[in-house]
Amino acid sequence: MELECCWKTEIIESAQCPNIMDDERELRFSLKRRLLEKCLECPRFGNDLEILARTEPSLSMVLRHLAAEYLDQKEQIHYMAGFLNSRNRELQFLHEIGIVLQTSMELDEVLSVAMTAITAGKGFGLNRAFLLLIDDEKRTLNGYLGVGPKTYQEAWQTWEEIGRDDFSLREMAKIFHDTKLSFEKAKFQDLLEQLTVPLDDQSHILNRALLNGKPMLVENAFNNPGVDPVLARILGVDTFLILPLISRKRRIGMIIADNFITGKQITGDDMESMEIFVFPAALAIERASLHERLQEEVEKLSKANSKLKEQQELIVKMEKMALVGKITSSIAHSIRNPLMIIGGFARSLQRKLDENDPKREYAESILYEARKLEDALTEVLGYADSLHPAMDVWDINELVENASREMRDEMAKQGVVCSLDLGINLPMVFIDYKQVAFCMRKIIGNAIEAMPEGGMIGISTRADDHDCLVLEIRDTSTTITASLQDYLSAPSFTTREQISALSVSLCKMILEKNCLSFHVERSTEGGTRYTIRLPLKKEETFHE
Amino acid sequence: MSKILVVDDESSIRLLYSEELADEGFEVVTAGTAAEAAERVAQEEFDLMILDIKLKNESGLDLLQKIIRERQNLPVILCSAFSCYKDDFSAWLADSYVVKSSNLQELKDEIRKVLAKKAQRQNLH
Repeated sequence: MELECCWKTEIIESAQCPNIMDDERELRFSLKRRLLEKCLECPRFGNDLEILARTEPSLSMVLRHLAAEYLDQKEQIHYMAGFLNSRNRELQFLHEIGIVLQTSMELDEVLSVAMTAITAGKGFGLNRAFLLLIDDEKRTLNGYLGVGPKTYQEAWQTWEEIGRDDFSLREMAKIFHDTKLSFEKAKFQDLLEQLTVPLDDQSHILNRALLNGKPMLVENAFNNPGVDPVLARILGVDTFLILPLISRKRRIGMIIADNFITGKQITGDDMESMEIFVFPAALAIERASLHERLQEEVEKLSKANSKLKEQQELIVKMEKMALVGKITSSIAHSIRNPLMIIGGFARSLQRKLDENDPKREYAESILYEARKLEDALTEVLGYADSLHPAMDVWDINELVENASREMRDEMAKQGVVCSLDLGINLPMVFIDYKQVAFCMRKIIGNAIEAMPEGGMIGISTRADDHDCLVLEIRDTSTTITASLQDYLSAPSFTTREQISALSVSLCKMILEKNCLSFHVERSTEGGTRYTIRLPLKKEETFHE
Repeated sequence: MSKILVVDDESSIRLLYSEELADEGFEVVTAGTAAEAAERVAQEEFDLMILDIKLKNESGLDLLQKIIRERQNLPVILCSAFSCYKDDFSAWLADSYVVKSSNLQELKDEIRKVLAKKAQRQNLH
């Protein structure tokens, strides 16, 4: 009995067995392994069993059965290994998603992971996914985010890119979040806007899926009486998957996924795998949404807190200011009245006495001193007033006219002529009228004082290029007053004590508190130019 | 000759106003309290009232409201030692405001202005 195969030989040469490959040389030395891995499937072994059957039919039959059974079991083991591998990959994938979903608190990041998991080849590999979220206030289900290609061309381009770069799911989600999320939101905007379903429409398939709380595979959508034809038309696919997002019995929204480009069938297995994924995804989305809302609330509370602090400080400040106001009002009343009486009668006496009467000089002295005291009082009260800024929109020309009219008598007495050159159609300025008018009177007063022999004061207003108006006061003085001398030698004063008696410096402080720039220039030929810049717009001004 | 009622709790100020305004050709009547002023207004016709905002233990603004209610045609010039009186809305009922000063020129100018306005109004009617 001549056998064809080498299955009875312990050690064989390579040439004896055509089934042993170059990288399987060790099989030549192991009869047992060679028999199980090669011989049982070799046709020559089959032939040998035929030959054996002639002499040993029972043995041959037993061997045939054993060989067949062995091969059958081997195939089953192979299938099971494949199945376990696939499940293992799936678990790893879910584990990876789970970690990201559990650790991330940012809604967009969570959504990026969830949507990438559904659409990436390394994930569930569906072509498109749409996220719909519930608006509790409006009681609607609204399209929020769409992911996936819109056209075949875009699909191939994306898949080619993914194929080139071997990114993990987590890396893909990060790239999506960083570079594509806003683009994807905008890309499907038209479609998402149409995906709005009132929650009260209980017959709508999306609401039915939400109520049921289980994934739903919708097939034959265009002809399915249970599917809203509008929804099928919007999606443009016959088969799609609805994945309700439910977290601790609270309905969050849902994901609709389909194979819009490839048209690949979605199986029950796909749906089962996604069911495991959907729960942590819903939990993560809810948590991120709550976190986002919490952040908003924290921000609101923080803003409210700072506002409250500001208000408290303001109240304290106002209380102080009110006290200052009361004190100054009381001082004003108790000093101004006697001053007015003294000065008034002195003026009256001066007017009534004969020019050569020596008592006239006494009256003049009393009047002069009373006026000085009145000026000092006005300055103190002006400073107190400056503590209460009242910003509003004013016509600067009106302010200039009023302030110069109020100084008319003093100018006339000193032989000073005032000329106004006021810009036409100037916009309104945002200032504290009383404070700016006070400063203007002080500057004019200083200019008068600097021209004891008389002179000219020119006041002009004009628009500037930089959203402001310019108010300019020029005099023809040849001397410098003590107040201006103090200002020019040290134009920056830091304490109230330093400036209390210096009117030009006081003006600078008041104007700068109002965010108005103040500049004084002394010409070499004589004359001083005072420039004030006044803002036009509300928001650009006043910081206390 | 226009007849002016001066209301001020300071007798020296009343005297000063009387003399100065008389020199300007006005007939001046004075009152030291709100009650006295109200009585005068009830009894006599005035062309104008000069009223101090702060009377002794009384508010000139309360008197102003009362006068305005009873004599709508009587113009009032408010006088005050401190310009912050304008912050009180009831002060807006007055026809004019003057901050007290030893130089009465501003007051005299305002008196003429207010009287001229009153005359204009009367001519219109």
